[in-house]
Amino acid sequence: MPDRPRHGAPAVAATVSALAGFAACLVGWLTGGASLDIAWAPTLDLRLDLALDGHATLYALLATGIGAAVFAYGSAYLPRHLEHEERPRSEERRFWPWMVLFMVAMVGLACARDLILLFVFFDLTAVASYFLIGFDRDRREARGSALMALLVTGISAVALLIGAVLLYTEYGTFSVPEIVERADATTNTVAASVLITIAALAKSAQVPLHFWLPRAMEAPTPVSAYLHSAAMVAAGVLVIGRVHPLLSKSDLVLDGLFAIGVASIVIGGLLALAHDQLKQILAHSTISQYGYVVMLYGIGGEAGDGAASLYVLAHAIAKSALFMTAGTVTEATGETRLSRLGGLWREMPVVAVAGGVAAATLAALPLTVGFFKDELFFHAALDAGGIAPVAAVLAAALTFAYIGRFWVGLFLGERRTAPRRVPWLLVAPIGALATLAVAGGIVVAPFADLAGDAATVTQGTTVELHPAYHLDTRDENLMALGAWLLGALVLAMPRLRDPVAAVVQRAGDVAGPRRLYGALLLRLNHLSDRIHDAEMRDLRNSLAAVMVPGGLLIGIAVIATPTGDAYEVGAVARRDLPLVALLALCVLAAVTAARDAGRLRPVLALSVLGFALAAVYALTGAPDVALVAVVVETVVTFVFVGVYSRLPRSRRDVLAGSGPQLRRRNLIAGLVAGVGAFVPVWAALSRPTFEEPFAEEHLRLTPLAHGSDTVTVILADFRGLDTMVEITVLAVAIVGVSSLLRQGRLW
Amino acid sequence: MNVILEVVAPRLLGPAFVVAVALIVKGYVDVGDGFGAGVIVALAIGLRYVTLGHERAESGLAVLRHAPAVAVGGLLVALAAGFFPVLSGDPPFTHEPGPNEDVVKIGTLELMTPVLFDVGVFLLVTGALVTLLHHLTRLTGARP
Repeated sequence: MPDRPRHGAPAVAATVSALAGFAACLVGWLTGGASLDIAWAPTLDLRLDLALDGHATLYALLATGIGAAVFAYGSAYLPRHLEHEERPRSEERRFWPWMVLFMVAMVGLACARDLILLFVFFDLTAVASYFLIGFDRDRREARGSALMALLVTGISAVALLIGAVLLYTEYGTFSVPEIVERADATTNTVAASVLITIAALAKSAQVPLHFWLPRAMEAPTPVSAYLHSAAMVAAGVLVIGRVHPLLSKSDLVLDGLFAIGVASIVIGGLLALAHDQLKQILAHSTISQYGYVVMLYGIGGEAGDGAASLYVLAHAIAKSALFMTAGTVTEATGETRLSRLGGLWREMPVVAVAGGVAAATLAALPLTVGFFKDELFFHAALDAGGIAPVAAVLAAALTFAYIGRFWVGLFLGERRTAPRRVPWLLVAPIGALATLAVAGGIVVAPFADLAGDAATVTQGTTVELHPAYHLDTRDENLMALGAWLLGALVLAMPRLRDPVAAVVQRAGDVAGPRRLYGALLLRLNHLSDRIHDAEMRDLRNSLAAVMVPGGLLIGIAVIATPTGDAYEVGAVARRDLPLVALLALCVLAAVTAARDAGRLRPVLALSVLGFALAAVYALTGAPDVALVAVVVETVVTFVFVGVYSRLPRSRRDVLAGSGPQLRRRNLIAGLVAGVGAFVPVWAALSRPTFEEPFAEEHLRLTPLAHGSDTVTVILADFRGLDTMVEITVLAVAIVGVSSLLRQGRLW
Repeated sequence: MNVILEVVAPRLLGPAFVVAVALIVKGYVDVGDGFGAGVIVALAIGLRYVTLGHERAESGLAVLRHAPAVAVGGLLVALAAGFFPVLSGDPPFTHEPGPNEDVVKIGTLELMTPVLFDVGVFLLVTGALVTLLHHLTRLTGARP
């Protein structure tokens, strides 16, 4: 394969940046954290409030550390992937920036302590994931999956924003620590907690919004190994952990988390047993595993939150290694199905061992960090009492069974497909993560400290975790033994297991939420098409689509608000005569524009109308508005004449189909729009504006800003940020026009 | 095209610039701001396009091809003027000199950051409109 070095540069840069980020986060953690708080728009209460506290450190280390391993893996995987798909290697440029953006967004999300900032990073991960899942954009399934992931996680993210605004109305701040400090269990707060939880659960692919994750397996393996182990799905439980003190104000929310967690464990686990595609098994396993975390957050308390943090850590290491194992096996054999693979341990011993360690971590076997995740999990379940311990043992047994089936099916038994050699970079990252998992199984203290620090933030009080091996018959050990035995039993009895799993899978296909999503999307698309067709049929409809709803909305507003003295017919004084004359000119010009059958005359009439209005502004003491009106009116006339000079000579097409029925419709639409515009203008002019406190305040402050023209001072100083955003729109408009007309050439 | 117009239109650019500069310099004490100034200059250039046609308009005034760069530069100037206070921990658009401080004046021109912001707006508006003129006058392929 001809391989010029510059193609690999983005991958190397991405890996190095991930490693640098990892080192920075590690140093930050060891030196006691860091924080940054810039109130960049204080009047809107918007702050750039980032802190590298325990919770942030855990997820930032995961995002950068797992990121570095997966990026290194991807640097070898992506060129081969593009070669299989017969695409040029230059397409790597459409991959790595999104990967790095995703990592940055994850680190930002981990550190954000402001709800608005949290929402922005939350959505940024959704946007980046859209492009990453849809990387193979030539394939229809990839595009559909990307859209599904974006819609499910993006629409539910709006719930997070609504929740944030609800909390703001109650506590007057977006800052999470401040809200947590002040929060009471009011209806408003509970409603906000529920909304935020919904957004987080959809992101973490929990039942019933889990269906996007298996579809997202259309993505290239590095994307799955990163987004669907340590990042995208972790973002949901990250948010839950961040606002957990708020959620624990209400038992209802905690019970809901517990129930959804258990449901996700069971459904995800059973489906992982049923599937044959390697990545589908792992995707359903992810649903199930984040179910554990959600269940633990539902249990809450020191034990629950601590266990949840360690669980996220151990799972991310194991799952990304397992995804990469699946990718490497598929690269070597070309097969994606468990039923066509087997006996690979002879040819791929390193992958078999590393993948085995990862599977053992997930199954919570001793000598891996996974053992401790289950120890704390069982401990929290015992604390919670009720059905929790039973559910915990069954969950662990299910995990043991499906991940055992995965590993045994790949590496043991009879060899079905001969593997080819794979580059070392497709193996080394799995080995690195497996080494980490074993290291955590021997010396668990650093992992426990990290998880404890994270839980300290989540819990609000200092949490210390002391997982360890105890060679006695305490309940946790018995539960673990029971889970392994039960899991091994399920693993050893495929005849009993497979029909049950198949029934669950069939039931999900027939009545699952994915069907509902499909039907809903189809209906919505039809509706949108019909509205679009009606609106775009001709110019009349396009105009009416804006004018008529606008007029109707204003009508509703007028009816709904009390209008006692809102409408006044003022007296006309002698000095108003020029004004009246100008307004009469406006009316004449408007009638001409509406009635004249010519082409240029209506345009000129419109421009006369505009200039006359500008003169009215000048006379009523608004010279700034008048100046802008004059220049804008000139530009509009200029453009109008320019466009009209390019129209076809014949007017037959324009006049076609003007029957009496259409005339009546035009009349009604015109009346609705005209009255809708007239009434609010009349109401606004009926009351003097200068008594408003805003205007007075602006007038008072203008000299302090070294100005005497209040309008300019408002534009450049008082509302400078608004002006900034508005002119940015202009820059965006250039990019839009040049990409529509000239394929993105700026000149 | 009218000969007089063809002679006058290109020469309008100078006066338009003078008006624009006046609007910006006087902006803070009198009517007008960067937006109006930018549109006026762009209109003068637009008149040039109408009278000379887009090829002659651009070949006679080669500086026009830098319009996108001017627009981007204006955006950067405005951003810098608005956001530099963030560096010292103030909210954005905290203009210098602050209230009750003295303003250095050169004639009518006041040296302060709002005026710099206005210059950024002027550059962006001019550059953007000229770029749009360039693209829209090039749509000759679709002439019916």
